[in-house]
Amino acid sequence: MTDYSRLAKNGLWTNNMVFAQLLALCPVMAVTGTATNGLGMGLATFFVLVGSNLVVSLIRHWVSQAVRIPVYIVIIATLVTLTDMLINAFAYELYKVLGLFIALIVVNCAILGRAEAFASKNTLWDTLVDSTMMGIGLTWALVMIGAFREILGSGTLFANADLLLGESFGFLEITLIPDYKGFLILLLPPGGFIAVGFLLVAKRWIDQRLSKDKKEPTESAGCSVEGHGA
Amino acid sequence: MNQPVHGPHAHSNASLSALMFQVILALTPATLYSFWLYGWPAFNLWVVCVGSALFWEALFLKMFGKAIFQHLRDGSALVTAWILALCLPPWAPWWLAFLGSFLAIAMIKQIFGGLGQNVFNPAMAARVMLLIAFPVEMTTWISPQAVTSAQPDFATSLAITLGQAPQAIDAYSGATFLDTVKNQLGQGKLLSDLLINQDYSLGATFQGMHSGSFGESSALLLLLGGLFLLWRRVISWQAPLGVLLGAGVPAALAHFFHPEVYPGAAFHLLTGGVILAAFFIVTDPVTAPTTARGRLLFGLGCGLLAWLIRTFGNYPEGIAFAVMLMNSAVPVIDRYIKPRIYGRTRKGDPLPTRPASNKSGGEV
Amino acid sequence: MSETSLQDRLGYQSLFLGVVVFVTCALLAFAYQMTREPIRLALENDLLNNFSQVLPAEIYDNNLLETKTDIQAPWGEFSWYQASLNDEVTGVVFPLTAYGYAGDIEMLIAVRSNGEISGVRVLVHRETPGLGDKIEVSRDPWITEFNGLSLQDPPPSDWGVKKDGGVFDQFTGATITPRAVVAAIKRGLEFFEAEKATFLTPVALSEE
Repeated sequence: MTDYSRLAKNGLWTNNMVFAQLLALCPVMAVTGTATNGLGMGLATFFVLVGSNLVVSLIRHWVSQAVRIPVYIVIIATLVTLTDMLINAFAYELYKVLGLFIALIVVNCAILGRAEAFASKNTLWDTLVDSTMMGIGLTWALVMIGAFREILGSGTLFANADLLLGESFGFLEITLIPDYKGFLILLLPPGGFIAVGFLLVAKRWIDQRLSKDKKEPTESAGCSVEGHGA
Repeated sequence: MNQPVHGPHAHSNASLSALMFQVILALTPATLYSFWLYGWPAFNLWVVCVGSALFWEALFLKMFGKAIFQHLRDGSALVTAWILALCLPPWAPWWLAFLGSFLAIAMIKQIFGGLGQNVFNPAMAARVMLLIAFPVEMTTWISPQAVTSAQPDFATSLAITLGQAPQAIDAYSGATFLDTVKNQLGQGKLLSDLLINQDYSLGATFQGMHSGSFGESSALLLLLGGLFLLWRRVISWQAPLGVLLGAGVPAALAHFFHPEVYPGAAFHLLTGGVILAAFFIVTDPVTAPTTARGRLLFGLGCGLLAWLIRTFGNYPEGIAFAVMLMNSAVPVIDRYIKPRIYGRTRKGDPLPTRPASNKSGGEV
Repeated sequence: MSETSLQDRLGYQSLFLGVVVFVTCALLAFAYQMTREPIRLALENDLLNNFSQVLPAEIYDNNLLETKTDIQAPWGEFSWYQASLNDEVTGVVFPLTAYGYAGDIEMLIAVRSNGEISGVRVLVHRETPGLGDKIEVSRDPWITEFNGLSLQDPPPSDWGVKKDGGVFDQFTGATITPRAVVAAIKRGLEFFEAEKATFLTPVALSEE
């Protein structure tokens, strides 16, 4: 019996695809110039992740060890192509923004990794929970990175949200800093690395604080890694 | 039994802060001259740069749990900030210096582990990041002729530093030499016509009478500062010579074959930041190779890349990019050009021993 | 145990992989059929939408898409479209490529029959955000400066950015992008002049 809350915590935080496993960095760097793009990429990846993992879990008894990797890749590639065609046909405006990067989902090792590590060994239901949580974890990570870069880089948040979510979500677009000069480097590719670096620091800092609180009574000097001065 | 001898250690009285003090001393004449050339706004900028660098250094030392005063006193942050200030446009707004200090001290130096651990030269990396992030502010140059003929008063200067007087800056701005020459050459004009129109002369370059970064102005004073450091043995000659040769030789060759298209060696060495880089930046012991031969190669690479970027690249000035690129090549240089271990050859084999001691080999 | 031994057989593995590939291919073929028409419509709509930005509605009444014709230019082959009003040719629309700071800039230009620019728009580019991207009409009206200009006005020698001695504004901090755009537009106009006869002869519509 699998503990669902553990799966959820795993996907959303402890084993977060971006912030803990450091997977999926290619799409992370490429599209997260704005929070909206991050959200769009996150949702597209989410769809492929859940879909492919469900299929992998469904056929897991029939897949032989020797050919499992090609089989998984064919499944993932098919789903990516389907996503690509559907977005192209029915959400053309979004396709113009994300189009180039949707094909990148196929080389996203996070999906293959999850298929191999979890879906191929667990029941359909567990896989659904796991991949959903992993997908949400990935999506919020992409939105966070996008927001970080967008706020500091161009002073807005959720710019062009109406293109992704429809006119009714236009209100999401906020100009946080009017007349902002723009910190260009964060919008350019190096900014992706810088943003991920800072957010990793933030996550580990939070983790450290949490574990400190928990362990304080038993081992108080446990976390001091650095500190020849203090 | 052999007589006990001294260990193979050379002692010098050079402490880190004493070295840094001499670097500062060497930078002072050129800096004072720049203050005179560019007036109060340049001074304000320098103050902001140094002040904020010390602030960021202290903050990050505290965050990493290190002894603040012991590390602040070594003067390395001061030197970094000083060099960074010299690389900024002289009338840049305060936040450019504040942010630049953050990038140099916090992101390039402290996050990589503090003094001695950084891969890139902090001042150069910060300058490159600023240039990419704020191309407009980082290329608003001031013409020194205009400033010396009509100095802005102190109140205006403060407004300029606070970024409140764009119209005041417009009246003084002018393109750099490198920029103008590059642009006009791009339009197929002949170099000889250009240089006459631009009032180009070696003398003017030495006096710093052309637009440029704060500290790039007087090649002569920077050169004197560099020679002082050489004389005091604060820096060694290999890296500076490498830069001068690396930029000068290809420039001279190109100029020799196509004099109307490629400016000569003197032009390349005396404009922009080559002299500053050669004596104060590539000599940074942290981000340069460990061996003398390695440093020569490092300098040659910096100079050559700078010339290539200036001549064929999109940017009129390339020394900062060149230094960053070569910084990242330092581990490779250090891998192939290793220091000789005491008692061994350069390849790491034991030195050939004398036949006499060979006989008593089994004694110890 | 028999299941494992079956899975170890080479024949089973090949067959399994084959079945998976067959099923996925069938699925993709089906999806392709389903989405082909919507994708074509979306592309056409997009193209028409772009046309309407460079060509005012009152100067044409034909279906531009029907006039699609290929032509060979010094820089490669491309398709162009002819606008006509009451069966009289009023202008042409064709794509242009500028070689910008960060790669190709794809543009669309419409030229009236008298050689004047009706409109230019940048469709796809990768120029630096905040600097070079001012060529997009949604960020800066710069690109509309070209409306109504021709090779006679300003004369060809003035077709350049101010920094190069021309008449067009460059952007602060970005010269390469506008320089490339101006050069591409000039190239397009010159090509229009050279091939005027072809461009302004009514295109024979293929009856379907």
